[in-house]
Amino acid sequence: MVKVFRWWWGILLAFSLLAVSRVFLPLPFINEIVIFSIYTLGCSFLLGRVGLISFGQPAYLAVGAYATAFYLFYFGTNPYIGILLGVLAGLVVSFIVGPLFVRLRSDYFALVNLALAVIVFYLMQKVLAGITHGDNGLWILTRISSTPVLDLSRPDQFFIFALLVALAVWAFYKYLDDSIYGACCLATKINEDKLKFLGYSNYSVRLLAFVIANTTTALAGAMYAVYLGFVSPEITSPARAADPVIVTILGGAGTLYGPIVGAFAYTGMKDVISKLIGNWELFIGFLLVFIMLAGEHGIWGTLQPLLEKLLFRKRVTTGTADSEEAHL
Amino acid sequence: MDAQLLISGVIFGLSIGGIFFLMAIGLSLCFGLMRIISLDQLLYYSIGAYITYSLSLATGSVWLGVLAGCVVAGIVAFAVERLIFRRIYERELTFSMITSFGILIGGIGVIKYFWGVVPRPVSVPTMTQFDIVGTEVPVYRLIVVAIAFLVYAGIWLFLNRTIIGKAIRAGIEDVEHVEGLGINVSRLFTITFIIAGTLSGLAGGLHAPLIMVDPQMGLEVLAFVFMVVIIGGLGSIKGTLVSAFIVGQVVSLGSILYAPLAQMAPFAIMLVILLIKPTGLYGSALLKR
Amino acid sequence: MGMPPHSAANNDELLAVTGLTVSYGESKVLFDIDLSVRPRQIVACVGRNGAGKTTLLKSIAGFLKPLAGSITSDHTSLVGRKSYDIAKMGIKYVPQDKKVFSDLTVRENLELGSYATKDYNWDRVTDYFPKLKQLMGRKAGYLSGGERQMLMIGRALLGSPKVLLIDEPTEGLAPSIVAHLRSVFAELSKNTALVIVEQNLPLVCAISSKVYAIKEGRIVAELADRESIKADVCERYL
Repeated sequence: MVKVFRWWWGILLAFSLLAVSRVFLPLPFINEIVIFSIYTLGCSFLLGRVGLISFGQPAYLAVGAYATAFYLFYFGTNPYIGILLGVLAGLVVSFIVGPLFVRLRSDYFALVNLALAVIVFYLMQKVLAGITHGDNGLWILTRISSTPVLDLSRPDQFFIFALLVALAVWAFYKYLDDSIYGACCLATKINEDKLKFLGYSNYSVRLLAFVIANTTTALAGAMYAVYLGFVSPEITSPARAADPVIVTILGGAGTLYGPIVGAFAYTGMKDVISKLIGNWELFIGFLLVFIMLAGEHGIWGTLQPLLEKLLFRKRVTTGTADSEEAHL
Repeated sequence: MDAQLLISGVIFGLSIGGIFFLMAIGLSLCFGLMRIISLDQLLYYSIGAYITYSLSLATGSVWLGVLAGCVVAGIVAFAVERLIFRRIYERELTFSMITSFGILIGGIGVIKYFWGVVPRPVSVPTMTQFDIVGTEVPVYRLIVVAIAFLVYAGIWLFLNRTIIGKAIRAGIEDVEHVEGLGINVSRLFTITFIIAGTLSGLAGGLHAPLIMVDPQMGLEVLAFVFMVVIIGGLGSIKGTLVSAFIVGQVVSLGSILYAPLAQMAPFAIMLVILLIKPTGLYGSALLKR
Repeated sequence: MGMPPHSAANNDELLAVTGLTVSYGESKVLFDIDLSVRPRQIVACVGRNGAGKTTLLKSIAGFLKPLAGSITSDHTSLVGRKSYDIAKMGIKYVPQDKKVFSDLTVRENLELGSYATKDYNWDRVTDYFPKLKQLMGRKAGYLSGGERQMLMIGRALLGSPKVLLIDEPTEGLAPSIVAHLRSVFAELSKNTALVIVEQNLPLVCAISSKVYAIKEGRIVAELADRESIKADVCERYL
């Protein structure tokens, strides 16, 4: 019983904090943060745990968002089904492009994903403009029906939904992290050959990670669609390609809560900096370089070991003899 | 499609290809020798374009602007190499990607600071048209193509007939062996980086009269340039030339046929080529260090 | 296995390594190595694969940064210097991978060797390796293993180095070429000290005047004169 509690406690704490922050932060802000965090989680996982960097996450975001939007615009009104379809679309697309992309070397992989993002952009903007309404976007806000339990068309109830979904997603990733598969992911990042000699297939590990990460991203896209009530090609424009990567680095790649911290920092800073000096690019560009040169750990990446040391030491002195270190 | 359209399409494609080629060489060399992905080359491209704009406005001569653009781009590249890249050569590929991206974004911010966000036009240095088989073709585009070929020849001569060029080619194969001979590879890296930056600046300067100069211009061509590099294979100059040519033609002729698809076609080609040959047309598999 | 007695520090030492500890990332590979080389001496390092012999040579040549210890040559410290500076000081490393610049011709390979050292006298090189004269125009990628080895050593000879650190030169080569190399090394040592990593015990036995045995990152034996080498290496194992 105690062990289960410890396994969950980090996640419960983090999300309780998030829930509590609702009290003194504007609702749109934290709704945005939650979805953005889920978006970034996929990227962070790929980069920090598996060693794959993708400059094309927006592609999968768009896949999820547009799938949901299509459903809600043309077919039905149930947002839950819409989101489910968005996730499925992401799953399918990942499985289709995965086998090709994952075989490539890391730099080609990054750029090929970027290419996909641009393809999706042009697809949605021009080629399929008939059904996507091009740059005008798809408006689905009015199409979302009230659903029992939680009415997703209302931002405050959406927040509860988003929080629960995020909780589930984080629990899933934490589970992955602690499992053998999680170890394989790290192994494939650090030393491919050793993993191969142990009998695992680097390719399979990476492919699965790819699918998981991008399905997560599609989920974020689907949620965006429902939350904003509007989808346009802009979400996958070349300018947006770097957002997940920046947030990942900012928070700390590969850490569990990095995406949340990063999303907070990024969105918060963007607001403040844009008002202060107006030149957001200058700031974030140099910040990124600074972080990389300073050790690439990011905010949470630097805080996490410090916090762990604090908590771990505390636990030892109170005499709780437990060898399992709860990782934040 | 009538002959006139075809010819102007081909010329258009060649000029675009030429510009992509100029940028792609830098990327290819930087990767081949230093094993870094230098996304900040897009910044030197933008700098070249902006300096061309400012100088052509100030002096009335676009060509002077292009020259100045190259020089300034080269200087900035030198500064960045000394300050930042020097510290990260040993790290893995993704590290340089993210860091160079940060430089690119930060640089865009600097450009915004000095020039603002409004797109600027740069006048074409010569408006004359040249008659090719009955089609009026802008001379400027022909000049761009000619410059691209001259640069190719120049690079070829440099790499094959000068000792530093040979050292660079040797370094692309194995840097440690070059070091072991007593050659200062740090200086080689700097030289290569400056060449890359200058060529990117040249590309920006030449491209400026053909498009509107705006802070995001680097990001807009980013995908295309990298496509050229990937299709050609990182580290191969000949591959870069061939794939720049291909991509240029596809974009140009494709847009005559069916515009939206033309932008996407290069990507589709890239994906197909990667399916068959994961390191690009001329790229070699040896590249993991 | 006790630690061998430390070699007495010698004033005319060309290369002196003391307490060298090197790690590859997280794992330690060399522990507290002491080694010394006198001018025109042929020193052999023997040991199993993975014992750390290549690491040792690479550390001396400046390709790896040691955790601890000192490496000096003619009273100048080598630790922390760039590999190309060390090469210019006259300490040249010939790696074991039999790799030459395959896209360049043999002539161009040698040109690169001359470039840094400013030594354009190739006669010495072709005296040792006459075959190279015929191969000047050929792309190095088309050379056989033995020819590559000759090119690698020839290249390194430019600039008249005082020490050559040669990593497994005879590995994979035909006996006739090995014999040729053996006489080349013997000739070379009249002007240049050689530190040769080798698994080829007959060669070691024939030419070296000092042998270090390395096991799991430590020196487990040091034979400092021909007599002990004859006894412990030639007679015992061959």
